[in-house]
Parts: sequence; C-alpha cells; structure tokens
Amino acid sequence: MSVKTDNASRDVVIAVCGAAGDGSIAAGQILNMAATTMGYHVMNFDSFPAEIRGFGKSVAHSRISRDKALTPGTMVNCLVALDDPHSITELHSLTQDGVVIYDSKPADYHEEDQAVAGWIQPGMIGYGAPLRDLSAQATKSSKSRNIVALGVISYVFGFEPGAFHEAIHRRWSGKSESLREMNVEAFNLGYEYAEANIDKVDPIDFKNITEGHVTDANIVSGNEAAAKACLDANLRLYVGYPITPATKIMEILAKQLPKQGGVVVQSEDEISAICHVIGGGFAGKRSCTATSGPGVCLMTEALNLAVMAEVPCVLINAQRGGPSTGLPTKTEQSDLNLAIYGASGESPRAVLAPANVGECYQITRKAFEVADGFQTPVIVLMDFFLSNRMEDVRWQAEDPGTWGTYEDVLAEPSEEEYKRFAFTESGISPRSYPGMQDLQHPITGLEHTEDSLPAYSGENHTRMMAKRQRKLDKLAREWPGPEVVGPEGDLDVGIISWGSTVGAGKNAIKQLQAKTDARIGGLFPRLVWPLQTDAITEFAGRCEHLVVAETNYTGQFANLVQQVTLREVTRVAEAAARPLPTQIIVDRVQDLL
Amino acid sequence: MSETSSPTNEAPLLDTGVERDLQNVQESGLLDYRSESLPTWCPGCGYYGITHAMTEAINELDIEPHNLVFVSGIGCAGRYPFFMNAYGLHAIHGRAVPMGAGVKIANPDLSVIVVGGDGDGLGIGGGHLSHAIRRNVDITYILFDNGIYGLTKGQTSPTTPQEQITGTHPYGNPDMPLDAVTLGISYRASFVARGYAGQQHDLTPIMRRAFAHKGFSFVVVYTPCVTFDKVNITYENMRGNWKPLPDDYDDGNILEAMKYAMDDTLWHGVFYEEQRPTFHDHERETAEKARS
Repeated sequence: MSVKTDNASRDVVIAVCGAAGDGSIAAGQILNMAATTMGYHVMNFDSFPAEIRGFGKSVAHSRISRDKALTPGTMVNCLVALDDPHSITELHSLTQDGVVIYDSKPADYHEEDQAVAGWIQPGMIGYGAPLRDLSAQATKSSKSRNIVALGVISYVFGFEPGAFHEAIHRRWSGKSESLREMNVEAFNLGYEYAEANIDKVDPIDFKNITEGHVTDANIVSGNEAAAKACLDANLRLYVGYPITPATKIMEILAKQLPKQGGVVVQSEDEISAICHVIGGGFAGKRSCTATSGPGVCLMTEALNLAVMAEVPCVLINAQRGGPSTGLPTKTEQSDLNLAIYGASGESPRAVLAPANVGECYQITRKAFEVADGFQTPVIVLMDFFLSNRMEDVRWQAEDPGTWGTYEDVLAEPSEEEYKRFAFTESGISPRSYPGMQDLQHPITGLEHTEDSLPAYSGENHTRMMAKRQRKLDKLAREWPGPEVVGPEGDLDVGIISWGSTVGAGKNAIKQLQAKTDARIGGLFPRLVWPLQTDAITEFAGRCEHLVVAETNYTGQFANLVQQVTLREVTRVAEAAARPLPTQIIVDRVQDLL
Repeated sequence: MSETSSPTNEAPLLDTGVERDLQNVQESGLLDYRSESLPTWCPGCGYYGITHAMTEAINELDIEPHNLVFVSGIGCAGRYPFFMNAYGLHAIHGRAVPMGAGVKIANPDLSVIVVGGDGDGLGIGGGHLSHAIRRNVDITYILFDNGIYGLTKGQTSPTTPQEQITGTHPYGNPDMPLDAVTLGISYRASFVARGYAGQQHDLTPIMRRAFAHKGFSFVVVYTPCVTFDKVNITYENMRGNWKPLPDDYDDGNILEAMKYAMDDTLWHGVFYEEQRPTFHDHERETAEKARS
C-alpha cells in the first residue's frame, strides 16, 4: 500500500486500536489534524460499537496520503495497540510488512498470551515503547498513552512534531492551558523515547516531504458536510428525531441554524418530523429532515403526499445496516429501493447519492434547489460510511454548481384564473405559497384537477401521472450526465457503482489498469433516480461485461441497470457490515477477464 | 374568489325574506372566505354549523385569506380546505397537527387552523396532540367530534361510547371512549374549549377567542353525524344535557376545568386559558442565545 518513490512514501494507513474509553478516536483526530496541517490528504473511518460503554473495541482508521484517496484502504500499514487483547484481533488487517506500535510494559492484568507483541507475525515490524510509564510521567495517568503513541509515530514515520503540537492545542482548545501542555509533554516523551531507542527498519518515510503548512483545510465528516450544506442553502426549518447515524446533522444544525434565523424542532417521532417539514415546504420555506432507514419507513406515507401535492422538501437518509433496527453503527446501501419506490401507488421523486464527503456538501446543497425547482421531495442517500468518515475538505473548492442550476417557478401575483397544478410541457406548474396574495389554493393527497380539486376520472389521473413524471424526465435531462471514466471505445469490463461505493469502483479501475492490459472503464451516477437511461445504455453498449458494485445483499442498483440495459450484469453486492473493499471488485473483474 | 361565480349570483329569488338574508350575508364579508366548491357533507351535518361559526370568527378578526391556512387530515372534516377561500393543506390521516405546526413554525405571520375529526385526531394521530400542546405552537386545532367514522360509513371511533353498535363492532364497542376535552386539559393545553355545532351563537365567540389566543388552542366541537350515528351525538340527545359554563366560572383554574370537563352534564365554553410563552417566543430567545 505504501508506495515508495524517491525514498518518500505517498500513502500510509494507520489504525489506533483500543477498548472504548482508551482514547483511540481522540488520537485519530489529532493525527488527522496534524496530517492535514502538513498538507497531506486524510480519509478517516472509525469503527466503534453501538453501545456507549463497556468492553467494545474502538478503532480509529486514518489514511494519510499525498494524493486524495478514493477509499480508506482495507489493509493497515501501522497498528497502534492501546489495548493488547483487542489489538490482537486487528492484526489480520495488517499488511505483511506492517508496523505494530505497542506498549513494551503492557498492563499486568492481561494474561501472558494476551500481549500483542507475542502475536506479531514474521515479516511484521514491532516497535515497543513504555506507553503507560511515559504517560504517567507526563500526566500522572495512563490516559495519555494515546498521545505518547502519536509521538512514537511522529518520529518513526518522519511526521513533523510541530504539526502535532498544534493539533493537540486545537483538539483541546476548550480545556485548560496546563492540560494542553501536559499532553504536548506526553507527545514529546513518546517522540524522544523513539528517537533514542527505536531502530527504524520499516520503509514508511514522510520525512522532508511536507507539502506546506495548510490552514484552510478542514477535517469534516459527511454529516458535518451535509449540515453545512443545509446552512449554506439557507435552510429555514429542520425537524428531526434522533437516530444513528444521522443525529449529528441535527446536533450541528441545532447549534448553528438559529444563528441565521432558521428553526430546529425535535419532534416526537419521524412521522411528525416529515409532516412539519412538508408544512414548512408548503409555506414556501426550505425545510429538511435527516434520518436513517427505520425513520424513512415511518416517513414514507407523508413523503408520498409531498410527491402528490408537489411540495418541495429534502430528506437525508444516512443508511445503516437493515432490515429493521439492524446494525445501527454499520454501513449499508440497502435503502435504495425504499428511496425510489417507498410509497403506495407510483410516486416519482428524486434520489441523489453523494460519493464522498465533499459531495455530501455539494449534493445536499443542490438537493434544495432540485426540490424547489421541480416541486418534489428529494432524498439524499448517504450511509454510515459517508456520515462518519472524515476527509480533508477545502470549502471554496466544493462547488455545488457542478451539478447544474435549477430555478424555482413561482406564480405571478396578479395571475388570473390561477391553477396551481396547471398542465405544462415541463410538468412544472407555477407555485404559490401562503402569504402570496390572490393565489390561495388547497393542496391534497387526493388525485386532483389542475385547480386542485379532488378528481377521480381516468382521463385526469392519466394526465396528472404524466405531468408528475415529466418533471423527473426533465431532471434526468438537465442533471449532468453520470461520471464516466476509462478509455473511450469498447471496454472489456465496465464497472458501475454509486454513493459511498464510487470510491472503491474507481480505485478498482486504477488497480486493474495498473496490473492488466484489459480495457476497463466505469460509470458513476450521482442522480440515482430518475435514471439517466441513455447514458447507462450507451456505456453498457461499449462494455463486454458489466459489473455493478454496491453494499447490499440483492444488488439493488444492479437490478435497475439490468432493467435498463436488458442484459445480465455481474453483481458485486455484499451486506457485510463494512465499506466494500476494492479487492473484491478487482478479484471479480479478473475472474471475468 | 371571483364575484361572478358566487353562489348568490344565481337566478333572482322570490321575495320570501331569503333574498334579504342573503344580502346580509353577502355584505357581512363572510362569503369572501368561501371557495367556489360547495361542501360535500350530508344535509343536516353538524359541520355546516361549525363552518359558519368559524367563518364568522375569522371574519370578525379580519384575517386575510392569503394569510390564512387550513390544514386538515382525512375524514369528512378533512375536506374542509376545499370549501374555503384560503390556502389549504389536505394532509394524510392523523397528521394534520404536525403539518399545521410546520406551516406556522416556518412562517409565524400566517394564521393556521387545523381541523379534523375524532378518528383523525385521537385515533391514528393521537400521539401528536400532546406534543403540539407541549410545544405550544400558536395554532388552533378544532376537533370535530361526532363519535363515529363517517367517511368510511359508520365504524367505531375513539370517542364512540362503549356498547354502541357500529359497522366494526356489530356486537357492541368493547373499548372505553376517550374524552378530548379532559385530554386537552390534562396535557395542559394553553387553551381548551368545548362547543356544539348546533349552537352557533355560543360557538362563534369560542372560535373567536381560540383564534385570538397566543399559543396552542384546542377546541372540541360536538357535532352530529346524521347519517351514521342515530344513538349518541344526535340533535335530540344534545338538547337539554348541554349547558354553558356558569357565569362565575374561573377559566384560569385547571382543577376546576377538569372537574367540569368530567361532569355528567355536558358543559360548554372555554374551560381553560393560560398565557404562557409560545414555541415562537422560545425560538426568538434561542436565536438570541445562539447569536450571542
């Protein structure tokens, strides 16, 4: 994984493993901040149990690279063991020549065979340091072993210690100066111990390749990016009910939205949340809720009203493993069918899927414009992997305009014979909302006439169904075509993936292009409903084999591709409680070649 | 609403006094709040009386149609927005209260009136009532209580008395009925009233107070379903057992309110009113705290 060029590394994956409460996540955060300041790109995806306390394992998993990474990486180059028994169970993900940083004087309450040092395989490299003792020396507690370990990492891999000092101060900016200084001391003790005692034999080397002191990059999660998108889209009303992994969006908005005049309501359940949001959308204000699959189940009926009554609103679904309560802290892309079809009747709505943290910002922001412009609910399909993974983001580089421009069509105040649901060529009828004079009208979930009166004739129903569908057809035409990569002309294999699996899809193409002569390309949509069928058909026509990769059991997007292209596709679909490893796609494609 | 298609501009009427009455109605401004669609309720339905009382109250308060939003759920009362000249949100079953709250929170300048039946508000949507009350969103919720599911033709509702025979309980309803007024008081709604569709001159002032109240006002209106309920809330049964709250009644005393609400006599009037900060007041404070 770490490729050495001119004696300098480009890429390293570091995992900090401990029991819940050992500070693995905090260590990861400081590592990420320091790496970003040094000018590297960061992709971080932590893993922790659904329970708050107890003996669960927490792993902070950071990829630090000189080029922006597509995936967090499945294999780890360096494992930092804050808790030996837990770390032993993580050794399987270490590369064959990986580094283990361990406590050379582990806690004496572990059984003898539970010291990680005893489990290090031949070829792997172990660096021991008395983490616990040095921690006690600096802070009179074993709690800062995580920071001591960062000092060891800094020396061993050649990361500039100053960046860590700065990160420690930032991480605990709300705490006392003395606490920050004690932590800096813990870091320094680790660094100095390593300098004096560790004989470096691993090839990972970032020394003297610092890319400059970067201050405008932020380490943000997908949830944070989506929340910022809501703020920048001038959201007026957010109503939500706490649910993993979407809650963070609400917590951020609860703090920030009132500053710009918006309102956050914690509702009694998800049904109430979406109903408030539809009320807000009908009142002409940008309104949004975020939830996960179980919440979407509750919201489907009301969302269907928003389709029928053409009310703009945005629903963010941070998917998690299902069905039912499922796997609250594990990732899965299994709500695609629910997003597209979750409704009685046939209920066209827009479904957008960002592929990385930056896009969680861009696409969520664009979702509000699409909702207004097409007078429709828009579902943004994130998932645990996007919600909770962190990347370095430079806000000014994240341009939502990439995804087109969509305008709100409002009725003229003096309009005579105003018909809220007038039949138009585009399907979009000029909208008015409460407060706009002389344009009063009811909206309803009943099938209705252009005048919004209940109507049950077959002729009217057919025309209204077509009107609602035309809006989506227009969106499919106007949204930028799906991202297509790889050589032009015929391809041996075309890889299609969506949402958080786009990174693995693109990564697979890169790896395959490097190791085979085969012609490999890919298609990566962000608009997952309505489908841009022409682009998919055109791409499929160039491919001998089509592979669709996603993290669900049945291959939900593969089903759609099969429907559109009328051909068999190869599914790389797993519901394995993890982001899809690139290797699985690569292996499958190689089987086809 | 356009003048030319008003129901009063039909062929000239004989001089029976009706013409004069209609002229009075027309001049009153009440018709400004009516849409071109005529109500689809059964002849004799109590909803006509409620509609009239509501319209009178809105007219007296001079709320402009474009700033007025009716939100309804599903059921006979759900159709209400179609018959009014205002913005209307005919929502899904049981969710009118949170939808109405969303409208009001998004734009507090609007007057939001939620209407719905006993099934909509106490059955499928029963979970939302307590929370809207708790939040004290400044909307009025008028619960049309006819003790039956009318639109689906006569099934048991949450307020149908025990033992009543209905389409879904041909051997008698086994479930104890809920009383919306005592619920509203026990949740401590900042305004709780009970009215009767058959007595408009009492109902209009209740409505006026409810609309003017700052905070969540909850008005329960007993209304006969002449088609599917021949035994419970009928015009005949309501006569005699229906009394206005005493002149010296203290509507600021919640224990008294509960006592009168639970009494065998059907008292009507405003049981409880309390001025306390609304959701919107809290939001203004939140915004200040967030900015400082």
